[in-house]
Amino acid sequence: MKTLEVFDPAMCCSTGVCGVDVDPALAQFAADLKWVEEKGVKVSRHNLGQEPQAFAANPAIVKEMEAGMERLPLIVIDGHIVVTGMYPSRQQLAQKLGISLTVTEMPPVKAASCCTPKSGCC
Amino acid sequence: MSLPELKTRHAFFTGKGGVGKTSLSCATGLALAEAGKRVLIVSTDPASNLDEVLGMALSQSPTAIPGANNLFALNIDPVAAAHDYRERMVAPYRGILPTAAIQSMEEQFSGACTVEIAAFDEFSKLLGDPAATQDFDHVIFDTAPTGHTLRLLTLPSAWDEFIASSTGGASCLGPLAGLEKQKALYAATVKRLADPDETTVILVSRPDVSALREAERTRAELAGLGVRNIQLAINGLFKAATPGDIIADAMTNRAIEALATMPTTLAELPGTSIPFLPRGTVGLDALRVMARPETATKSSANMTAANIALPSGLRVMIDDIAKAKHGVIMTMGKGGVGKTTIAAAIAIALAERGNKVVLSTTDPAAHVSAAVAEGIKGLSVTRIDPTLEVRQYTEEILRKTGDKLDAAGRAVLEEDLRSPCTEEIAVFRAFARTVDQGNDGFVVLDTAPTGHTILLLDAAEAYHREVMRTQGDMPESVRQLLPRLRDKAFTSVLIVVLPEATPVHEAERLQQDLARAGIEPYGWVINQSLLASGTHDPLLCERGNYEVPFIRRVVDTLATRSALIPWFAVPPVGSGGLAQIAG
Repeated sequence: MKTLEVFDPAMCCSTGVCGVDVDPALAQFAADLKWVEEKGVKVSRHNLGQEPQAFAANPAIVKEMEAGMERLPLIVIDGHIVVTGMYPSRQQLAQKLGISLTVTEMPPVKAASCCTPKSGCC
Repeated sequence: MSLPELKTRHAFFTGKGGVGKTSLSCATGLALAEAGKRVLIVSTDPASNLDEVLGMALSQSPTAIPGANNLFALNIDPVAAAHDYRERMVAPYRGILPTAAIQSMEEQFSGACTVEIAAFDEFSKLLGDPAATQDFDHVIFDTAPTGHTLRLLTLPSAWDEFIASSTGGASCLGPLAGLEKQKALYAATVKRLADPDETTVILVSRPDVSALREAERTRAELAGLGVRNIQLAINGLFKAATPGDIIADAMTNRAIEALATMPTTLAELPGTSIPFLPRGTVGLDALRVMARPETATKSSANMTAANIALPSGLRVMIDDIAKAKHGVIMTMGKGGVGKTTIAAAIAIALAERGNKVVLSTTDPAAHVSAAVAEGIKGLSVTRIDPTLEVRQYTEEILRKTGDKLDAAGRAVLEEDLRSPCTEEIAVFRAFARTVDQGNDGFVVLDTAPTGHTILLLDAAEAYHREVMRTQGDMPESVRQLLPRLRDKAFTSVLIVVLPEATPVHEAERLQQDLARAGIEPYGWVINQSLLASGTHDPLLCERGNYEVPFIRRVVDTLATRSALIPWFAVPPVGSGGLAQIAG
């Protein structure tokens, strides 16, 4: 079974409703993770503010944070960092996990655009 | 006339700020301790004066009170509790995670939500866990001012429901990582509160209409929470020994009328009353007098008011503030000192000078509209209503982001918006929006009681840092808030006090807190002075003379500008009554 781990920056909650302004990409990402889980992927999510032990226990993650806090969030699939500094869209998640996406499963708008500078995506 | 009688192990004293909850809970606890019971008094008020009333520095664990066998007290300071909580979470990772990671964790634990949750956590340990207080026969809670108390009391059921209904793994449980584990404790807390054999709630009120109205509101809320064992305690009941003095007669009649017109639901509660005590209620001796008022030394019949130079009225300050033609005026201070009344009087006086004025309140126990009964040209009254703000904020977020989400994403977002943190944010944004109106007119805010106000300012600070970091589409009003509050040309902060020990000392702490936030008050307003009232009643003259050192302290040491407002025979209600204050 594939595993997907998300290392979030310190935030009150995973949709950002507790922050200054709500980021719809965060709510969509939380929903996309549920969808990924339904496809049989083992998903775990760690928030720096709540589960720092998960970060401390993983030298690769600590190394990324030393390079800069903007490297968070980090998306790890089967132990390999595949995305840094952004939340991937459902299509990107599907592609990286090798899940085929039907038309009805497409979200209405892409959660975040791919290939922005420094995004580390693609 | 006597103290409330306690048959249950737990007791809560609640009521509008300044009605004497702390004094009464201490006097009741002291009387029980002197009757041979082991008693613990607990304060959960962020602006607690328990230390002062008991004459002893307290901590977050039970401290024996010297001079009173079997009496112990502790203070739950939410800010300190939040600090401890933050340290417990962060300290183990210093040196293990990069410095920047530690900083971002610390920031995450600096918000108002953490403070609220950490305080509630401490409170739950005491009420929900029998082992924590097993050494005591009675545990007496001197709860925070009403709005905050109610939030504290409502939270258990809200959280309980929230935890139960939260389905996805992505639910917003705020910064309290172990919340789920605490569920049993919180459920036990709720159960204890509502159990009439375990808990008595004592509504404390002054014999005046607004305090009684507040008591009735609290009674209804408590009944809604399933609390049935409620008593009413009327504190500071005055009756002129001999009629003929305008002030003494007005005070006597105001109490009689207020008690005669109180709602029947309040009148039907088992109740007691405690007489007016001219020498304050600070220290064990004063607390013993509260328990046995007949032992009080009688005021000498030829007692007269001291003849000292007093500060001027509010008019000088209003004339000065009016020169700017626009800006924000905030009245701050402990609950019950008259912030709303002073704010309303200033708003009316500014409007009468031809200015455009908005009078706004963030006080959860708001009755500004009752204070300003009649319409006045140029003046509008608004209220920051948390329920309404939360609804509007939620709708706005869903409207703004809804089309970017599919059904599942929307469901996750809606669930998270039900979290208790949403209220803090919604109210904060409303506050910033109101301050923003000070650009093209005057905005007069009667801010919430001290503790809540500080949380709000704390939130302002945390937000300020966050705003600087994110590039989200932050409202400009929020971005500008803290710089505006610090700008003396834009914002005039008035600290309102009563000429008594506790209000003055608390206001002194407030001034220090404001200084830390970079805010310097414009001036101090000393309200309801009996010394300045012109009374000749011996008991009231004695009380007036008791005010002298506190007035001196404000004028000589604390304030850059000060104003003194007498106790008026005509109540300061409606534009006529309020005009006396601005005079």
